[in-house]
Amino acid sequence: MVRLGQQLPVLTARYLAVMAADLPTLLLLLAQAPLIGLLCQRIWLEVETDTPSLWFVLVLASVWFGCINACREIVKERPIVERERLFGLSMPAYVLSKLSVLGGIALLQVIFLQAAVEWRISLRGAYLLETLALWLAAVAGTGLGLVVSAVSARQERAVAAVPLLLLPQILLSRFTVPESSFEGGLGWARGLLPVYHGFHVFELAADSELRLGPLLWSLFVLLLESVILALICAALLLRRQESPR
Amino acid sequence: MKRALLFALALIVVVGGYLGAAHLSGGAFPTPMVPVGGDRGELRRLAASFWEDIQFKDFKSAARYHSESTQGAVDIPYLIERIFMLKPELLDVMEIEVVFVDIDSTGDRGRVRTRLKCKNLAINNIFEKELMLYFRRADAQSPWTMELESSLRQIEADAAKAH
Repeated sequence: MVRLGQQLPVLTARYLAVMAADLPTLLLLLAQAPLIGLLCQRIWLEVETDTPSLWFVLVLASVWFGCINACREIVKERPIVERERLFGLSMPAYVLSKLSVLGGIALLQVIFLQAAVEWRISLRGAYLLETLALWLAAVAGTGLGLVVSAVSARQERAVAAVPLLLLPQILLSRFTVPESSFEGGLGWARGLLPVYHGFHVFELAADSELRLGPLLWSLFVLLLESVILALICAALLLRRQESPR
Repeated sequence: MKRALLFALALIVVVGGYLGAAHLSGGAFPTPMVPVGGDRGELRRLAASFWEDIQFKDFKSAARYHSESTQGAVDIPYLIERIFMLKPELLDVMEIEVVFVDIDSTGDRGRVRTRLKCKNLAINNIFEKELMLYFRRADAQSPWTMELESSLRQIEADAAKAH
């Protein structure tokens, strides 16, 4: 715990410096959010209002941002991590430093994404609540991306695995099959997906009457998923280094 | 000193960027006390202000968004009853939201889509309604006035024309 507290600020500052050094990549990451937002805005201007499918696309895009931002971030510096591990690198601190910096980038992305849509079409529900939902969904996506990065042997494989994380989020949505199909195992599996919970927050925010319990539950699940995924990522990295090669 | 300067610079960039975005978006982002957004911002404020008058049952004030010649003839409580199927005293407008603002190619005709969250006080039922308000002005220097007929009033069939 002491090691984590000592190393986290140093690792975070170092990761920020690495990110800032590669400014074109960082700008490209940030620029994709308003571009996708403007594209959504242009399409939904045809119906002149927001629809549940727009909320779904926004949440899906946020999870996608998180996954894409994170999926190469561990695998690309594996030799460095393995060497520093010999000198006492704390894996939880390492993963948390990634999560905090990528979480900051994800926050900017969801702000730009939402603002680009709200530029012309006002979304139903409280603005900041929806920003929070999008951000938590993006952070959960970041957690998924970090786990993929921790298990992948090469950057290309990590990027190739991202669709495997995102497609189930689309397939297990009510836009693919009717709501009544999600019973038993399918419904349970859907309850694990960040997109489902992010979208649920939008639905509840747009509801005529405020249902605080389900709203807080969905936000809590998104937060919990991020924490669990970060722990899984740290455990995977520890296990990988302890197992003989 | 350098740090304070950088902080001030960053603050100016953020605030300036926000105000710029709010202006270019036609007042889509809240800027209390700072009227930005050009014509679209103006229409947004007029529509919100009109519904706020209805929210507080100030029907006299709600009539002033219409052209001066029609202001005296505007029966807002009747229009409310016709649109909401509710007596004005049973209608509680809880939330007002401007969804979308559009101005035509001439720049003198505008339409504003508004979303209202209302409560029927008789049965304690909350419902949502989207309504379009239409505005017009004579030229760029004239003020916007609400097009009563197309916004709220039920258009009666013209007996002189074939249907």
